[in-house]
Amino acid sequence: MIIVTGASKGLGAAICERFIAEGYDVFGLARDVSELNFDGQACDVSSYDQVKFIAQSLKKNKAVITGIVNAAGIASMNLAVTTPPNITQSIIQTNLVGTIYCCQLFAPLMFRNRCGSIINFSTIAVALGLKGESIYAASKAGVEAFSRTFAREISGFNVRVNCISPGPINTDLLKGVTSKQIDCMVAQQIISKQFVPSNVCDLVEMLLDEKSSSLSGQVLNVGGV
Amino acid sequence: MGIQTATDLIIDSVKEVLEIDGLEVEVSADMPLIGSESALDSMDLVELCLALEEKASDCGFEFDWTSETAMSRSRSMFRSVKSLSEEYIRQYEARK
Repeated sequence: MIIVTGASKGLGAAICERFIAEGYDVFGLARDVSELNFDGQACDVSSYDQVKFIAQSLKKNKAVITGIVNAAGIASMNLAVTTPPNITQSIIQTNLVGTIYCCQLFAPLMFRNRCGSIINFSTIAVALGLKGESIYAASKAGVEAFSRTFAREISGFNVRVNCISPGPINTDLLKGVTSKQIDCMVAQQIISKQFVPSNVCDLVEMLLDEKSSSLSGQVLNVGGV
Repeated sequence: MGIQTATDLIIDSVKEVLEIDGLEVEVSADMPLIGSESALDSMDLVELCLALEEKASDCGFEFDWTSETAMSRSRSMFRSVKSLSEEYIRQYEARK
């Protein structure tokens, strides 16, 4: 079974769709699962208790987890000095702390089988230091640092942890970003083109595959930086 | 399950974990499970928790090793085999 957080929208939904089409057993988590047409449960990843409840029920049901894709995330493009404290708190809590909670509580479900792959999500904004994304970038820089370190902590259990760092992909997270800003981001990538969700799904597929067994603690930048 | 049974179970589990590392260590109720005097490294501690989780499941309860006090030096359930046994029993008795 592959757990995907943020399963109801954006990249998370695209990843679920891809893996379901390929016959994988996908378990989606999202705050609102009313529109999910596959197995899933409501869960706000920023709540330790909610994530723990899911982990406990998966354990009770003896679910065999082979992959965790932490795609849940929020964004609010704003200058740091004009960002209200509740927005700052919310971005850090969901993007960074939520990813940490999911890793802490779901990873032990894979330890017993001595195999598994965890994929966390960063952003090109970390590498490029994009103006107007300082708090979002800070939350994702934390995800990168956590992923590299967590990868070392759990490598003895043959569980790998990697990050995918997409550039501007057309999802809800890009709301409020102008096409000029998108062009500017794309121009800074090594491959100067705007990628689409299926390109990210390809990388997720690769990282979940045993063929990536030599990769852990890495950040894969979509488009290259 | 009584405290002695829990202590024996934890001593056996600690021995099993250390045996994987090729270590034969005398394990007593006073043995620390964290800190510089512990024979267990961090990976061993996770292995021990997984083993105890499995054994708890066989006994019909869930062993939660992620509590806020789990790693606190002064209050941690991992201070010693004895403190872990006490917590294990507490969780066993709190089962619904």
